[in-house]
Amino acid sequence: MHPNADVLQGTLDLLILKSVSIDSMHGWGISQRIQQISSGVLEVNQGSLYPALHRLVKRGWLQAAWGTSENNRRARFYRLTTLGKKQLADETATWRRFSAAVEAILATS
Amino acid sequence: MSIWTDIVHRVRGRLSRESNANLTDELRFHLEMETRQLEATGLSRADAENEARRRFGGVDRYTEELRDERGGRFFEHLRLDARYALRLARRFPAFTAIVVLTLGISIGANTAIFSVVDAVLLRPLPFPRGQDLVLLYAQNPDKSLPRFSVSYADYVDWRKETHSFTDIAAYTTSSLTFTDHEDVQRLAGLSVTPNFFDVLLARPQLGRLYHDRDPASETDNEIVLTYGFWQRALAADPSIVGRPIKIGGSSRTVIGVLPADFNLDGNPVDALTVLVPAAIPNVESHGQHILNAVGRLRPGTSLESAQADLLGVATRVAAADPGIAGWTANVFHLGDELVRGLASPLYILLAAAGLVLLIGCINVANLLLTRSAIREREVALRQALGAARSRLVGQLMVESAELAIAGTLLGLLIGKLTLRAILAFAPTGLLPASIGIDTRVLAFAAALIVFATVAVGLWPALSATRSRLTASLHDGGRASTGGLGTLRARRTLVVAETSLALVLLICAGLVIQSLGHMLRVDPGFRTDRVVSMRVSLNGSRYNDTTQIQFFRDLQSRLEARAGIEAVAAANTPPIASGGIVTNIRLVGVPQRAGEKLMGAATAITPGFFRTLSMRIVQGRDVEWNDTHPSLLVSEAAAREYWPDQSAIGKRIAFGPRDTLGLEVVGVVADSRSRGLTTAAPAMIYMAYSGATRLGRTMTLVIRGRGDAGAVLATTKAVVHEIDPTLALFNVRTVDAIVQQSIGQPRLNTMLLSFFAIIAMTLATIGIYGVVSYSVAQRTQEIGVRMALGAAQRDVMNLILREGGALAMIGVVVGVGGALVATRFIQSWLFGIERMDLPTIVVTAVALIVVAVAASYLPARRASQVDPLVAMRAD
Repeated sequence: MHPNADVLQGTLDLLILKSVSIDSMHGWGISQRIQQISSGVLEVNQGSLYPALHRLVKRGWLQAAWGTSENNRRARFYRLTTLGKKQLADETATWRRFSAAVEAILATS
Repeated sequence: MSIWTDIVHRVRGRLSRESNANLTDELRFHLEMETRQLEATGLSRADAENEARRRFGGVDRYTEELRDERGGRFFEHLRLDARYALRLARRFPAFTAIVVLTLGISIGANTAIFSVVDAVLLRPLPFPRGQDLVLLYAQNPDKSLPRFSVSYADYVDWRKETHSFTDIAAYTTSSLTFTDHEDVQRLAGLSVTPNFFDVLLARPQLGRLYHDRDPASETDNEIVLTYGFWQRALAADPSIVGRPIKIGGSSRTVIGVLPADFNLDGNPVDALTVLVPAAIPNVESHGQHILNAVGRLRPGTSLESAQADLLGVATRVAAADPGIAGWTANVFHLGDELVRGLASPLYILLAAAGLVLLIGCINVANLLLTRSAIREREVALRQALGAARSRLVGQLMVESAELAIAGTLLGLLIGKLTLRAILAFAPTGLLPASIGIDTRVLAFAAALIVFATVAVGLWPALSATRSRLTASLHDGGRASTGGLGTLRARRTLVVAETSLALVLLICAGLVIQSLGHMLRVDPGFRTDRVVSMRVSLNGSRYNDTTQIQFFRDLQSRLEARAGIEAVAAANTPPIASGGIVTNIRLVGVPQRAGEKLMGAATAITPGFFRTLSMRIVQGRDVEWNDTHPSLLVSEAAAREYWPDQSAIGKRIAFGPRDTLGLEVVGVVADSRSRGLTTAAPAMIYMAYSGATRLGRTMTLVIRGRGDAGAVLATTKAVVHEIDPTLALFNVRTVDAIVQQSIGQPRLNTMLLSFFAIIAMTLATIGIYGVVSYSVAQRTQEIGVRMALGAAQRDVMNLILREGGALAMIGVVVGVGGALVATRFIQSWLFGIERMDLPTIVVTAVALIVVAVAASYLPARRASQVDPLVAMRAD
């Protein structure tokens, strides 16, 4: 298991929601997008990615549908639901508050 | 196990075959994309695939985890747990064997007893709406006769004037002779009023039954057969309906056959004929108590209101007829009447079996607790690795369930064998022969599984998972730290089972001694080498004179034969009947107005006392040549009727018209003619020739030198010489009758002792287990003691004292329990007090001795501990 699994898990949900907020995407695409945008700093553990996707579907934040990938393969695409949009907004706000607080503490010395 | 795999696959397949495929597809897509990307960086196809797979870490594992995310893992876990439990069972064969055997024996005992309870007490009567059927009796509270037969006149009045019953029918047993070619057979007949089957709502298997139309005349020569007789004697001939069969010298037309399950009161019946009131002597008299009555309550009528209704009618009838002053009526549910005398012993035995099950479960819980203590480290480790508590408890429960299922299967087998033994030992006629392990008993066994699983599994499961993580892990190599708390719990369990076992042992000890007392009772007549059989003098050739002549002839001819010593006849069997209770009057003794004296009388032929070796203490026997019929009385009767006077020469009159009465010519020593456990009753033995109406069915008592078969053969030959149309029936030795009369106490004693032995064995295993466990716990302490100079003997004493102390506490609690429990078996005791001190002391000492003996092995093990090894072992 990943040593920081817990921390990552909470963040992972946010990152997934953000990734699919513009366009629907399949699992591999999501992992690529996170890696690219973070310039390789955040590497998504596949073992956590798929359970997380299914968990988010079950909570009603994502909707999954089978479609055709860019290379004409059958792939499962995930799309943000209305409930998911609200959740994304909430979690973004929470994260900003959290990171600002951490930043403030780090800045003091 | 393959079954499990099968089930799991099937269930899982049905739930999510499609989504499973999708899941794999999705992951495969991911892998392929990854591979492609790696290929683009310059890796070969094969290397790229390998690298992608490595990064992912195996498709199977994630499929599994994803499935967890979506539920459906329940069956998966069940399968794994079951497999694990089986592996554990194989790893600890002794443990598994003891647990399964314990559960098997205790569940077996319960299944056997419950089968009997089910068959006897819980099965509905074989008639529609059987709960509305009632038996009606005449009763006489003054003479404590709550259930007396009914007169035809009573029956007619009750039927006409009560309003609580849809109808009432009357019936009485009759003796029929069936002639098939040369063979003469005596049939158990029932003579019934034409509405009998309407009351019972019985339906025929073949043909038709009687109905309440014009009574008598047209049905007088008809007959209804029971299924058993039709099968046995008529080879189940389907064309029998409408054909005549030969009954008692005339022919009767078979109109129907009853279904196989027809059973009124458990007594065998072969054929049913219509009761002809004209054939009843003195039919208008309310005092002619010869019938049984069965009625059906109107729907919604309670037994109490029916009783009040009937009582009102009976009181009015009695008020109009001084001859039956004091007589009223009684009504009971048919179902309750059939099991009277059987219900409470069965519930007691069921309770005893329940105690055995309780002890068994305590024992198994104890053993599981031992193992869970051993496994505490395993459990703690798994908890540390993140296993959920519910998951661990679930697994331990599955282990218990597996043991419980194996135990129950073994229990069904043991139950079957026990049931066979019960039926073999039960006196004939006490229990229905059809008792078997049926679906209801299986349901009962299944309920026991649930009980056993929960009772046995839950505690250890909770106790094991409650363990403080760090404590158990820090404990290193030692067995456990939960030790002290667990040990206390285990000691409590052992004390509980020891005390329950003692309760059963004391009860068993009491009933065994009671049975011993019953067997040592002197009945007052000899039972060995005496054969009794019934004979019915049917047909037109018999009247009072020829009947007397028949028995006189039989006696002189039979006593002349080799191997026969003495012969006589009586109208009631020598034991368990106690004569016929009838109105008597002591001639010359003034009687208070309205008071009626009842006496038990039996009609005998000369030689009766000689045959049964009963001592005539005063006067003489009756004789064939007596010019006037005379009688003898028992010592008890002489004391009761003429206190402080000699009975010889006094007279007793029977019936209101008899003024002269019969003269007492002798006094006979008391005998227990009502059963071994009933005090000898006051008896009147009147000369057969003096009876107001000479019985046609008599019991012959014959003392011979050979075995019963030889005596019967000789008797048959002589009877045939005198009258070839006569049949002998109910042939039994008097010994067998006496044994039968204590058959039920014997069965009760056997079962209760059986349970007590099981309980004691289980308690012994329990003590052995807990002491062994405590020795294992204290190995280090013992090592220290021995290093400090304790001798082997000291260590042994230390451990033996522990076993003894547990048993001692169990004994104190158990004696307290016995104070309560013995109250329920009070009625089974004979010649012994409920709290018999010697019994209590002997069983208690026995239990303590056994407990100390059970501690001997662990104590020896403790004494051979090597101090160096013990102290290093950490």
